Amino acid sequence: MSLLDLKNITKDYPLGQTVVHAVRGLDLSIEKGEIVAIMGPSGSGKSTLMHVLGALDTPTTGTASLEGHNLQELGENELVTLRGRKVGFVFQTFNLIQALTAQQNVELPMTFLGVKKSARAERARALLEKVGLGDRMEHRPNELSGGERQRVAIARALANNPEIILADEPTGNLDSETGATILELLKRLSVDEGKTMILITHDPDAAAIAGRIIRLRDGRIVEEARHVH
Amino acid sequence: MFIEFLRLAGQNVLHRKLRSILAVLGVLIGIMAIVILISFGLSLKGLMTGQVSKVFGVDTFVIMDQDVMSRSHSGGMKEFGLNLGTLKGVEGVKTVAAIRQRTAFVEGGTNAEGTPQQGFMPVMGLSPELLTDFTAFTGDLMFEDGGRQITEADVDAAVLRRELADRLGVNLGDRILIAGEKSNEITATVIGILAASDEKEEKQGFGASMGSSTADTIYIPYATMDRLWPEGNDFLVTVVRILPGYEVDDVADRAETALKAEGSRVSAVTSGDITNVIDQMMSYINIFLGALAGISLLVGGVGVMNTMFTSVLERTKDIGVMKAVGAKNRHVMAIFLVESGLIGFLGGVIGTAVGLGITALGCFFINTFAGLPQGVAFPFVASPTLIVTTLLGAFALGAVSGLWPARRGSRMPVVDALRYE
Repeated sequence: MSLLDLKNITKDYPLGQTVVHAVRGLDLSIEKGEIVAIMGPSGSGKSTLMHVLGALDTPTTGTASLEGHNLQELGENELVTLRGRKVGFVFQTFNLIQALTAQQNVELPMTFLGVKKSARAERARALLEKVGLGDRMEHRPNELSGGERQRVAIARALANNPEIILADEPTGNLDSETGATILELLKRLSVDEGKTMILITHDPDAAAIAGRIIRLRDGRIVEEARHVH
Repeated sequence: MFIEFLRLAGQNVLHRKLRSILAVLGVLIGIMAIVILISFGLSLKGLMTGQVSKVFGVDTFVIMDQDVMSRSHSGGMKEFGLNLGTLKGVEGVKTVAAIRQRTAFVEGGTNAEGTPQQGFMPVMGLSPELLTDFTAFTGDLMFEDGGRQITEADVDAAVLRRELADRLGVNLGDRILIAGEKSNEITATVIGILAASDEKEEKQGFGASMGSSTADTIYIPYATMDRLWPEGNDFLVTVVRILPGYEVDDVADRAETALKAEGSRVSAVTSGDITNVIDQMMSYINIFLGALAGISLLVGGVGVMNTMFTSVLERTKDIGVMKAVGAKNRHVMAIFLVESGLIGFLGGVIGTAVGLGITALGCFFINTFAGLPQGVAFPFVASPTLIVTTLLGAFALGAVSGLWPARRGSRMPVVDALRYE
């Protein structure tokens, strides 16, 4: 059984009077421990695919399962819990809560799962140390640089020790040098911690860390290549 | 988890200082208005019941016309008939003091042209017990130099107010003619003139306790009153003191029953009865004042709602992120509700404190500068019930105002919320 299994999924969105067919019949299996890059031009269905892979959304037709759980069969609260435990998100725009400090941002996913305060704080600090922000824990996002913010976001993604890290254009808002260190960090963490990582990206450098590259166009997979590092 | 949400809400409130302050201010003004109005109401009630208990004490009740205490009563105080002997015979009664009132033809001195000054005016007969045993009832009287109160030994003596003395053209030691029933008449010596009324003295005299105008009244001894009008069915009020060991309400009930059995349309009124009437009256006033203040509170609530809608809109992306990392709808809802409740609560705490402060200051100014009569103070009442109720109410107001925005925020689909820029 694959960790993630998509079978013939489609996703349609209503857009005004018309319907957008964002994904049109797509099969994809991702195994535990893989690093997969999903590439493609704007409008190719990358984001929609990411939403389904991250259990943020369910497909219109077809089946999507995460560790054997069929997403369509889960209620909204079950979906949230599954997502909270199994998937860690890293976004292009970092998406940290501005009102919270770095440590509080990292604690947030654990808070919603009901982890105790002391355990949360301990784990958050350990993760921030790991991403090299041991001296920035009490800073708020607006007091951090772009690269530092993305490190906080990576620490947050690891907070609940998920199976999957889903990174949506993680280097899109960073200069190339910072981007490279972030990619290095992501790769190191996913190998060290044995995480499955899915990278959604335009950036060939980012895709280069992946073991498999999947290219999308018009909602379908048009190319799949395996990389040997 | 509530503590976490409280912290998160607190940080959000602090993060958007100006808007939070304005929303808090809206609630604050409403709560402050309520606290001030109700506290002043309580002070007023404290003042009134304080006066009542000072005059009455725990061992005194009064007999009045039975319509005086009823709600339908709209006129002034009425006279009534009763047998003082019956009253004195009631078990538990110690002393009975009565006041009779009649309108009489009165003639004083002459004016510059030699015309006699005369007219019809109210004459009150004060029983000696009133002057000896019920001094609180007459209050502290301010006499002009050389004047004094009527005593038990006085016969054909009169006390009147300066204005009336001027109109009648008499002074201390002069005589006035008072004509009673049939051909009864007396020539009374003026033994005391009450100082001219200004605002302060307006509240003096027997009427200060009873609330009727006293400016035109001539006070004479009870015995003299009896000589002018032998039939005693013209009581204005009768004050009864009970013997130790009796309950004032029991004695009052017995007295009322005994008098009614003789056909007197009277009612025995204890301080408890008067306090009840005051309570009832104050509760109406408080409802009215509360409704007025409630309007400003409603405006405050709308302010909180507006702030929360803006906050939800502004944090749409945060909602998406929180949902992506494991927040359920109820978590998001709770975060926003706690935030709006916090705004309400802050407004409540500050509003209550400021409201009580203003009330205390107001009481202080009234007591210091308003020239209340001696011994009368406007008490500052900080009611714990009021404080707790307003604080809880303010939190509830905030939370309720935030309900709709929070619900809207919590139901936002995670994908849409994440896409929001």
